[in-house]
Amino acid sequence: MPERMKPDWTRLVREHLKNSPSPCSHDVIVELATHFEEVYDQARATGSSDTAALRRTLQEVEDWDVLATEIARSKSQEDSMNNNAMSQRTKNILLPAIAILFAIGLVLLFLDRAAALQMFIWIACMGLLLFAAASEASRLNLRTRSVWLPGFVSLVAASLFLFAEELVLVHDSSFYFTDISLRPAHLIFGMPRWFYIAWLVAQVLCGALGASLSRRGGGNCFARLASGSFPALVMFAVCTIVIPASAMFEHNHFIFHNPGRLWMGVLIWAAVPALAMLLGAAPFLKEATVS
Amino acid sequence: MTKRISPKIARGSGELAILALLAEQPLYGFEIARQIGERTGGALQFTLASLYPLLYEMEKRGWVEGHWQSNQAGRDRRYYRLTAAGRKQLAPLREEWRSFFHALDCLAGVSHA
Repeated sequence: MPERMKPDWTRLVREHLKNSPSPCSHDVIVELATHFEEVYDQARATGSSDTAALRRTLQEVEDWDVLATEIARSKSQEDSMNNNAMSQRTKNILLPAIAILFAIGLVLLFLDRAAALQMFIWIACMGLLLFAAASEASRLNLRTRSVWLPGFVSLVAASLFLFAEELVLVHDSSFYFTDISLRPAHLIFGMPRWFYIAWLVAQVLCGALGASLSRRGGGNCFARLASGSFPALVMFAVCTIVIPASAMFEHNHFIFHNPGRLWMGVLIWAAVPALAMLLGAAPFLKEATVS
Repeated sequence: MTKRISPKIARGSGELAILALLAEQPLYGFEIARQIGERTGGALQFTLASLYPLLYEMEKRGWVEGHWQSNQAGRDRRYYRLTAAGRKQLAPLREEWRSFFHALDCLAGVSHA
């Protein structure tokens, strides 16, 4: 007799708790769904039939309304406490400091002044952002903590490196960007190859950074891969959406008449760096042992 | 197997049971429930409905803290570990329960039952 498909526990929990006195967080729903799954799997592993395992699992909750009320009661005060803690530490100190530094950095960038100071400011922003993220990480939901935040940190690190490279190696990186995309042979023979090689090495480190933060945040293998390759995904979006869109607005038809150049840009600035990032992320795909 | 203790009585002992288990190592919800059942010979049993509100309550008090961790199969589990505040609670709670059993013994002679 064919077995039924496994129930969608997350959906079941969400459906039963949707009328909770206060909305249950995604973390609570995932945690309860995982518990159901474990009970079901254990029942199956000990020889119960599918129907018996299902019945045994559903016995974990006799009254969903009581459970919803008790979870709401035990969670509500905690959430407000957490929000207060976040507002004291992050909202009043870290976020304003980041905003002020960011504004100063933008002004200096706009005025094209004090390049060394700019570099210091962007690094300070990055450090404060990382500190804020680390201190608030336990309060974020799983997806934010394991995908968006590590991906964002990885993207900021990649952007900072590009900026540093511009300051140290060249004065106008956009020259190299277009130069490499339009004349890929320069990657082999021209000066841009050093620019590009340094960029690729940095991508390995950025991939490792994203994947390790994702693993630390409890991300699964897919989340770590996504976080580790996030800057390449953004570059892919830039090459395939932003550049064609801006070219269209500026009535610049070059890339539409030469789509091969655009795809060369995708290959050089998104596909190859993605491979470098995945290389960096690879050591962090293994599970960390729980201490 | 030991006779199962009624949920009303079991629930009162939940805090001590969880603190004592987490003092040994971090565990996730299902494993906490499994170990309590196994180590008490089935006398104390916690279901999802009785366990998680208690865990969240203890987390709110700052006795335990949870963090997500994936296993090798990619299943996300929320592990709970004892905080310093939770560790401080363990000894007084043990003492309180010892006094409770002593008082109950004086009153109802439970140790001779």
